[in-house]
Amino acid sequence: MIRVDPSLCIGCLSCSNVCPSQNILRTETVEERRIRWKRCREECDLCVELCPARALTLVPIDESAPEPEVSFPLVGCRICGRRYAPEPMLRRVEAALPKSQSPEWVWDCPACRRRAEAERTTGEMVAARRRRRG
Amino acid sequence: MAFYVDIRRCIGCRSCEVACERVHGGRGHVQVHFVGDSASVPLFCHHCEEASCATACSFGALFKEGERTAFDVEKCTGCGLCSLACPFGVVWTDKIAHKCDLCDGRPEPTCVATCPADALSTDFDLLARRARSRAARAAAQGGRR
Ligand code: SF4
Ligand code: SF4
Ligand code: SF4
Ligand code: SF4
Repeated sequence: MIRVDPSLCIGCLSCSNVCPSQNILRTETVEERRIRWKRCREECDLCVELCPARALTLVPIDESAPEPEVSFPLVGCRICGRRYAPEPMLRRVEAALPKSQSPEWVWDCPACRRRAEAERTTGEMVAARRRRRG
Repeated sequence: MAFYVDIRRCIGCRSCEVACERVHGGRGHVQVHFVGDSASVPLFCHHCEEASCATACSFGALFKEGERTAFDVEKCTGCGLCSLACPFGVVWTDKIAHKCDLCDGRPEPTCVATCPADALSTDFDLLARRARSRAARAAAQGGRR
């Protein structure tokens, strides 16, 4: 079965995506993401291999051990407030990107990033049209 | 090869969106945005030189290949880190990442071939020429643009 180190897990759901037996269950509400590992009996360690945080290990099956479960509150976007990602994922991305890029956008949800980009690229054109219309 | 947008020509018809979806099994990589009531702009991957998505990917599923930021679906676990890393919000994930592949294997990007308003082009010089002639026209009309 699978053991989880909750201090390492970032809540990305890779493990759940790659599990061929649907043994890793996810539930997501607008507020939080929850992951539960069923007592897996397969001869398989795909999730262990493909966890980007190396949070999983394969251990001998133990019927008395409770099924591990972790939950993450989702962080709210700085702009629109919508909750969009577990904080450890955002911290990991922020740490991975070069400081020189000052990647604060990580704290804006992708929809707000698109909106900002659309406004930035059309801004000059819209202003020119307004001037023209007087 | 990259491609460029002439936003002054975009009429907001969403043809690029639909065309991209059509050739990518229903999951497109362009999103047309509307700003106010008079401007529209298609948003897609810029194939950044320093691609944040590729930096964030732990499995090498996103990587630079010449000018292109390429994607290897076989390596993707759908972790979503790329979506959180892209400054422009143009890589989507739902159990797998969806990102512009510049229509790999096709003679031309499908969105470029489809755009009825000629707003998309793989030829940067063409757009530069258009911008210059617009500026010249404006100057001839007394500086109004
Ligand atoms: S793949 Fe690893 S980090 Fe991601 S949810 Fe599973 S255990 Fe957590
Ligand atoms: S997905 Fe985003 S970060 Fe990656 S190359 Fe495209 S625009 Fe750049
Ligand atoms: S979703 Fe796929 S491409 Fe994106 S970072 Fe995760 S493994 Fe890489
Ligand atoms: S080049 Fe191809 S994959 Fe990229 S946005 Fe255009 S149609 Fe979609």
